[in-house]
Amino acid sequence: MSADHQLKAFLAVMRRDLHVYLSYRTRLVSQLLTSLFSLTLFYYVSRLVHVSGFTSHNSYFGFVVVGISLIGVLYSCFSIPELMRQELVAGTFDRLLLSPFGAIRSIIAMSLFPMVFSFTIAVFTLTLGIVVFGLHLHWSTVPLSVPVMIMVLLAFLPFGLLFAALTVLVKQGSVGTNWVIALLSIVGGLYFPVTLLPGWLQTLAKLQPFTAATDLLRHLLVNSSLGESPQTALWKLIGFSAVLLPLSLFLLGRSIRFAQKRGTIIEY
Amino acid sequence: MNLSPLSTSAGDPSGPAQSQQPLHAVASAAPLVLRSITKRWRKDLPLILDELDLTLEEGTSTWIGGRNGIGKTTMLRIAAGLIEADQGRAEVWGITPTENRARYQRLVSFLPAGDRGLYARLTVRRQLEFWGRIAMVPRGEFAETIDRTLDDFDLRELEHRRVDRMSMGQRQRVRVAMTFLPKPEVVLLDEPLTSLDTEGGEILQRAVAELLARDGCVLWCSPSGEHLDMTFDHSWMLEQGKLVPV
Repeated sequence: MSADHQLKAFLAVMRRDLHVYLSYRTRLVSQLLTSLFSLTLFYYVSRLVHVSGFTSHNSYFGFVVVGISLIGVLYSCFSIPELMRQELVAGTFDRLLLSPFGAIRSIIAMSLFPMVFSFTIAVFTLTLGIVVFGLHLHWSTVPLSVPVMIMVLLAFLPFGLLFAALTVLVKQGSVGTNWVIALLSIVGGLYFPVTLLPGWLQTLAKLQPFTAATDLLRHLLVNSSLGESPQTALWKLIGFSAVLLPLSLFLLGRSIRFAQKRGTIIEY
Repeated sequence: MNLSPLSTSAGDPSGPAQSQQPLHAVASAAPLVLRSITKRWRKDLPLILDELDLTLEEGTSTWIGGRNGIGKTTMLRIAAGLIEADQGRAEVWGITPTENRARYQRLVSFLPAGDRGLYARLTVRRQLEFWGRIAMVPRGEFAETIDRTLDDFDLRELEHRRVDRMSMGQRQRVRVAMTFLPKPEVVLLDEPLTSLDTEGGEILQRAVAELLARDGCVLWCSPSGEHLDMTFDHSWMLEQGKLVPV
């Protein structure tokens, strides 16, 4: 199986997901409106309250816009189990499993469209923030946010793959994902600084890579101060990806094999 | 063309190294061999497949019947590499799905029973193109393969229609087309005539004839053979986990 064949198969999965997405004509409009109204809400919240640690209303607004952009990216990584569940119910997972491309590559490929799309929505959200609400970006470091965003995706993809492995075994798509996203948005400092959290939660915030990722992206996009050095944040992301990506792929493979042995791979 | 339920007459399975040789260089292997396949769904249930042996040889068609729930679909799923047997092994030209999964899946194509396995929101052409990519159809043959499939399975008029806007029979024709699209050597059909009209049945028979003409083989399972208008080289009934000649 040549690299060219594999690349074309990956692109075919992305193209399939794009066509399916576009077949629901109101979905894009709905997502763009959600971004607009979320920004409007937080724009007025930033005017209403004074959050300690922020010098102005605008600095809190900039803080939260980056958080809103990132939550979409986080959701995209965690969408894999639900997509898997849909494939199981439709019987299309069997076809992927019985193809030369294989189940694991297909599952990874299935995560690409949501990731690219979430990245696009994040760019749209930031653009809205600039055009409609007067958000000021730190343009000299904005280009660096792109590779950092890719590293964030790689750091969070394993979580989606681990839940996909669970979906193969228990046949439920959203088992556990919603509370994990909610927890990460709290300890990751999505809507407020983690310094407001109790001590033990701050420890958790420092251990997982989402806080480092949001801090770093905020620093690059809106020039906010960093809780730790950029190198530390980057090493955290690299470390998480390096450990969790192979581990999650291994466990996904094992769960598929286990389900094939038990015969439950055909259940949904 | 000789086919009979065998014990182990196909000889030793070839290892992964042999799987890289030209297929016909693996002299001791056959297109599809099921060796002593045993499967039990639960400990408190009887064996659904009991040391079942089957060999399909080049250019042959085989029909297996049996009442509902007797194990035909389970046998096909094991042969396709979808699920694993408790004991025994499925081999295609001496390769097992665990030894070389990608190569195994290139050689075998499985049409499951029912109407699942299609993306409801994709058009027929996009469905075929997607499957062609996933099935690793060679680059130079890709466009020709899609066009040929649309023509051979009489899907030209439906090529831009979404699957969820098609009748059950039309969907089944798409499923059949996808099964034959990558030019497999072994085709496993589980109740393939479901929802097909006379014309659809004839299209399927032509596809099977083309497969046999290029020395492929087909394993066709359905509860009874009375409604079939085609003849098979070999016919068996599955009873109590074993194959019985008809």
